[in-house]
Amino acid sequence: MAGDWQPDFGELIDEHQSMVFSLALRMTGDYGLAEEIAQDVFLELDRHLRKIESPLHALCWLRRVAMSRSADALRRRRVRGINQWVEIDETHGARAEDRPSPLADRLERLLATLPEPQRAALVLRYQEDLTPEEIAALLGSPLATIKSHLQRGLKLLRTKAGIHLKEYVRGA
Amino acid sequence: MDLTPMDDFERELRVAFARRLAPPNLKRKIVGRRWQQASRSHRRMIWLERIAASLILATVAGGSAFWHHELEERRAEEARQQVMTALRIAGQALEQVNTQLTDNDRDEQ
Repeated sequence: MAGDWQPDFGELIDEHQSMVFSLALRMTGDYGLAEEIAQDVFLELDRHLRKIESPLHALCWLRRVAMSRSADALRRRRVRGINQWVEIDETHGARAEDRPSPLADRLERLLATLPEPQRAALVLRYQEDLTPEEIAALLGSPLATIKSHLQRGLKLLRTKAGIHLKEYVRGA
Repeated sequence: MDLTPMDDFERELRVAFARRLAPPNLKRKIVGRRWQQASRSHRRMIWLERIAASLILATVAGGSAFWHHELEERRAEEARQQVMTALRIAGQALEQVNTQLTDNDRDEQ
């Protein structure tokens, strides 16, 4: 029964912090900003905790709010005239063992060059393993739009990887 | 668009885009900010209670002063009415005396 579930804020952080942080990081490309977004998302969750009915609801809620807060942060950044990823090493503050592999790092950098809607669709598809239908529901977009973002984003990423990452990627 | 089955590139993407570990102190920071917010909210509540108490006190004091003022006004009005009644009675008595004097004068003539 959904009503019987008693959410534990600390446990929800433990369970989902990596997901929320990774979504924010891949959408903004800024380690510090992603950490700030993750904090804001969990504090918002704390304010809405009574409305959360099940573990699945918590997961979907966190994904949706993390994507929405990341989009807000990117919008604020565009308004301020900073329309690019942080060029310096964006993993400053990250421990060496937490850093991605060279291939993952370069793919993330290529991902950052894609338009925001395509990036969002690809991150949800390949990080969260969501279907296009689930992505459409989460982002509140038509399914056809999401499929188009996925197709174009994947094609663009594949082309870029073919040019820049020949030595790593087999299927590019 | 058919996303399944995944080709090699998509499998590479899935591996490359695996969830990254959150910063080690993220939870501590969230809990710290949560505590700060709760503390701020508690302080705000205390201030609101103080303001509400002050407003109640001011209302009671104001009401009391108004009630006193009204009481004084009522007493003053009563006193004024009494004086007016006394003056009216005195005026009637004088009028009577004046009438009697006028009658006496007429009788003497």
